[in-house]
Amino acid sequence: MEKLVVDKDGKITIPPDVLAKRGLRPGDELELVEAAEGLLVYQSGVDDKTADWWNNLSEEDRRQAQAEARRYEFSSEKQRDAIWNEAAESLEVEAEGDEIDLPAK
Amino acid sequence: MTSPPSSVLFDKGVIRRVYERRVRLALGESPTLLQVEAANAYARLSAITTSLYITEQTANILLRRTPSFAAPLLIDLQPLRKGRYLRRWARRLRDFAFSPEDAIVLAYGSFGVNLTVPGVGTEAVVTADLKMAARYQTNFGAIELRFKIMINDLGSGYSNLSLPQMLTTSDVLTKF
Repeated sequence: MEKLVVDKDGKITIPPDVLAKRGLRPGDELELVEAAEGLLVYQSGVDDKTADWWNNLSEEDRRQAQAEARRYEFSSEKQRDAIWNEAAESLEVEAEGDEIDLPAK
Repeated sequence: MTSPPSSVLFDKGVIRRVYERRVRLALGESPTLLQVEAANAYARLSAITTSLYITEQTANILLRRTPSFAAPLLIDLQPLRKGRYLRRWARRLRDFAFSPEDAIVLAYGSFGVNLTVPGVGTEAVVTADLKMAARYQTNFGAIELRFKIMINDLGSGYSNLSLPQMLTTSDVLTKF
């Protein structure tokens, strides 16, 4: 938890380590939300890699992505966990047949 | 700031959050803080590290997802293959109370084989799982001792293998 102090102009300074950790740069936007808990500062900007992905999609790909996003987002947490737990790898000795020799130096 | 690792293995949880960050963007919805942190760490390492890896399981999961989401990730991320004795090492790691899934990921960090640019293991494993990271750091001395005993027993072909460094997504954003 960081403590921020409001100066006489109503400005606050975000500590440098938080800026680095969150990847925030000059010009990035933050949202200030007046919530029941108090004031929340929310990072709304998009990192370069995610932005590049979206910007490089064709119109058709964006439509497909939005349809998939709707399916994914409206599935239950259990269903999403199932997707990401598919084909779990076995630790058993019997499964070792697919291990390969290390490349020669 | 320290030097970034030259090769990293992302655990499945990080890739899941990167994927879900993109889902939220496609829907025009706000991401969670954990999704933002994972996506920022992924972007940071993509910019400074050339060798980005995932496990075979993560690659197989992505291959079943819609190409508009999965294809760009599968271009960035190379799947490592399981090298000989990877599972044996994973079973040893279970003695330190790692889950089977965590043990496999950590074992890929030492015994995962890259067939494209021949090499074994990665310099770092990147995770969003703080408990796994803490367990690894806490037990590192004992894990290292166990690792050295095992690779000595395996012979000269394995003597250059090493343990990966463990980085949380938060570490990535703070250190590099």
